[in-house]
Amino acid sequence: MKAQGKREYALQGVGVLDLAGEQGGFSSRLLADMGARVIKVEKPGGDQSREIGPFWGDSPDPEKSLFDYFNSANKLGITLDLQNKEGRRIFLELVQRNDIIIESYPPGYLNGSGLGLEVLREKNPSIVVVSITGFGQGGPRKDCLTCDLVASALGGQMFICGQPEKPPIKPFGHQSYYAASLFATVAALIGLREKKGTRKNLSFDVSLQEAVAATLEHVMVRYFNEKTVAQREGGLHWDRGFCLLPCCDGFILLSLFQQWPTLVEWMAGENMAEDLVEKKWDDEEYRREHINHVIEVIGRWTKTHSKQDLFAMGQSLRFPWAPVRAPEDVLHCPQLEARGYFVDVEHHENGGTLRYPGLPFKSGMPVPKKWKPPPKVGEHNHKVYHEELGIPLPELERLHSLSVI
Amino acid sequence: MNVTNDTVLKGIRVLDFTRVLSGPYTTRFFGDLGAEVIKIQSRKTAKGVESSGSAYFRTWNRNKKSITLNMDYPEAREVVLRLVRLCDLVVENFSPRVMVNWGLTYEKLAEVKPDIILLSMSAMGETGPWRDYVGYGQTFQALSGMTYMTSWNEDFPTGLGQAYADVISGLYGVIAVLVALEYRDRQGSGQHIDLSQFEAMCSLMGPALLDVCANQRNLFPKGNSAESEPAVPYGCYPCFGKDRWCVIAVYNEAQWQTLCRILGDPPWVKEERFSKSSSRKQHEEELNRLIGQWTATRAPEEIVRLLQQSGVPAGVVQNAHDLANDPQLITRESFVKLEHPLKGTIVADNLAFKSDCRFSNQWRPAPFVGEDNRYVFGELLGFDESRFSDYVNKGIIG
Repeated sequence: MKAQGKREYALQGVGVLDLAGEQGGFSSRLLADMGARVIKVEKPGGDQSREIGPFWGDSPDPEKSLFDYFNSANKLGITLDLQNKEGRRIFLELVQRNDIIIESYPPGYLNGSGLGLEVLREKNPSIVVVSITGFGQGGPRKDCLTCDLVASALGGQMFICGQPEKPPIKPFGHQSYYAASLFATVAALIGLREKKGTRKNLSFDVSLQEAVAATLEHVMVRYFNEKTVAQREGGLHWDRGFCLLPCCDGFILLSLFQQWPTLVEWMAGENMAEDLVEKKWDDEEYRREHINHVIEVIGRWTKTHSKQDLFAMGQSLRFPWAPVRAPEDVLHCPQLEARGYFVDVEHHENGGTLRYPGLPFKSGMPVPKKWKPPPKVGEHNHKVYHEELGIPLPELERLHSLSVI
Repeated sequence: MNVTNDTVLKGIRVLDFTRVLSGPYTTRFFGDLGAEVIKIQSRKTAKGVESSGSAYFRTWNRNKKSITLNMDYPEAREVVLRLVRLCDLVVENFSPRVMVNWGLTYEKLAEVKPDIILLSMSAMGETGPWRDYVGYGQTFQALSGMTYMTSWNEDFPTGLGQAYADVISGLYGVIAVLVALEYRDRQGSGQHIDLSQFEAMCSLMGPALLDVCANQRNLFPKGNSAESEPAVPYGCYPCFGKDRWCVIAVYNEAQWQTLCRILGDPPWVKEERFSKSSSRKQHEEELNRLIGQWTATRAPEEIVRLLQQSGVPAGVVQNAHDLANDPQLITRESFVKLEHPLKGTIVADNLAFKSDCRFSNQWRPAPFVGEDNRYVFGELLGFDESRFSDYVNKGIIG
C-alpha cells in the first residue's frame, strides 16, 4: 500500500538492513511495521532462524517456520554470501543506500570478513550499526556461546521462575531475543535521531544477557538495597501482592491486599469468608504474616466460581485480576478484537490467512495497514539486485551459479 | 562511552504523571538520554513505591525532577497546561478516565501546545469493552498466555517471577515516543499515543499465537522442554550446592559428542535410544535424568566452563548475587552507581546497551518529593514569592 498524498508513514524513507537472524529479527520487524523499508539479508539457502518452530503444518520446512514468520513479516528478503568478495562488494553498495544495519554475528566476525565498522563507515559515514550478541562486543564472556536458554539463565530470569522445590523454568518463547530486540529498536531510533544531527560513528552494542537482566524488576532493587536474593515462589508474587488461585474451570490471578474490605464483604455475602471477617485480618501486616491462611480461605472461595465470572465481577470492582488464559483465548479476545489489534496477513502459497499480533499502540501516525507476508528465501533478489542496484540479469545469474546470492 | 553535556535528548522536556514501574521506566529512559523530565507528584499520593524513601522509587526515578501538585484543585490543572506549553511530551499511565476527569484530554493539551506528544499507557488501551479494566504486570502476563505457558503443565500454572510486562510496556513506550519525535521533526505534528500494556505483552507471544491460528490447535505448557528449538538435550540441571543449577543446550551431533566426552563417556551414552537426535528427543526425560546425575556432584561454574570451552552452549542459572558479581556485567558497567544525599551509594541497572553516542555524565539520583518546586514554579513559570507561598499555603503545591 502506498502512502497517500502527504501523509507519509511514521518511518517513511528509513532504510534498514537486517542481518540479525533469530536473536534480533524482531527489532527491525517493528521498524517495518511503522513504515521503514527493511531488507532481510540471509545467507544463500536461508538463515538458521528458519529451523526454529513451530511450523505451519508441523513439518520442519524452512518456508513455514512461524517463529521466522513472526520476525520477518513486512520485510523484503534477499540472499547474499558475505564471505565472498563479490558478495561483500554488493553488500557495501546496500550499506551506502541504507540508514541502519542491525546484525547479530559473533563479535569480530564482520571485521574478520572485511566488513568492520571502518569499512562500513567509509562507504556510508552516517550508517547506524546496532549489534546484538549473547554477551556484548567485549568482556571476558564475549566469545561464549548462547541461545535463549543460556541467556535466560545467565540473565537471571530463570532463577526466580518456578516452584521453590522444583528446577527453575525458562520463561516461554524466546523472551531473551525479544527483550534484546526491543532494546535494539530503541538503539536504532536513537541512532536515527543522532544521524540527523549529522553525527557520525554511530554504533550500539546490545547483549542478550544484559537485556534479560534489565527486565528483572524487583530482583536487583532488593539485592542492591536489602541484600535480599529473590527466590522462586511459584504463583505467589514476591511481595505477596498477587497469587494464582484455582477456580472451578482453571486459575485466576488475584490481588491479596487491594480493597480488602470489599473482598471480604463479597466473600461473606456468599458465606465463604470464614474467619477473615474477624477484625485482626484488617491489619495488612497481620495478613502478610499469615499469608498461607489467607490464601487457603480465598482459594476455597475462588474454587466455587469460574475464572471468567471472577474476572468480570472483580474488574467491575476495580480489582486488577485476570484469568490465566491459554494462547487460544488470546486469539479470540473481545478486547483485542474491538481494538483491531490483530493484522490478517494473506499467505497465498499456503492458501490461508494468518493473524499476527500488531503494534501495541495506536496513534495518529500513519503506519501500513496491510502487512506483507514474510519473504521466501531470496524472494526479492531480482527486485533489489536488478531493479535497484542495476545488476544486469546475466551477471545475477552468474552470481547465483557461484552461490553468492 | 563518550560522555558530554550535549546529549541525545537535550532540549526535550517531559511532563511525567506516571507511577510504579511501566511509565516511570519509560520516562527514566528519557532522563538517562538527557531529556528534562519533570515528575508530578503530590504529598498525598507519594506513598509506598512512590515515596522518596522507597528503594523501588529510587531505582526507577533517577534523572528526573519532582514537583508537587494537588490535582484536585482547578489551579493545579491550570499550572499543568502552562507547563505543557513548555514541554514536548506528556506521559501518563493512569486508567483512561483520570486525565479526562481533570480536563486534560489530548485535545485540550494540543490547544495550548499544538505539536505536543501525549503518551498514554493504560492497562488495556483507551478503547474497547475492557477500557476501564485495571492491571499490573502480572495481570497482563496472565491474560496474554505467558503465565500459562511458563509452567510444567496445565494443571499447575506458575508464570514468571517478576513483573516482566512493566518493562516491556516501558520499552514500547520509549519506541513509540522516539518514532513520534522523528515524525514531529518531519511533519511538524504532535500525537496522542494510546499504548495498551496488555497488547505489549501479547506481542511477545507472537509465534505461539501464529501456531494456534495456523495449526488450529490448543497449546499446552511443557516446562523447559525445547518448545521449538532443534536441540536435545536442552534443559536445566541440578548442580552441587544449595539451589545451584546450570543449563545445557545441544544443537548438533558434534556438540553431543563433546558433551558425551565431558560426561566421561559413560556406557549409557552408547545405548541405541540415545544414538540419534530424534531418539534422544523421544527419551528426553531419561536423558535429562542421567545428565542430572552427573551435574549434581559438580559446581555449575565448573560444568559451564568445561562445556563452553569445548563449544557447547551452557550457562549458570544466576541469582541476584551472581548477577551483581558477574564479571561480564561488571565489565560492561551493566549496573550504575549514583550518590544519594541521604541513602549513600545507590546501585541500579544502567542503560542496557553500550554506545559511543552522547549520553549525559551528569546523572542524578531520584529526587525528593517536591525537590524541584522552586525551579519549576519560579524559574520556568515565573511565579513570584507571594504567589508561590500562596499556592503552597492553599495546598495546590502540596
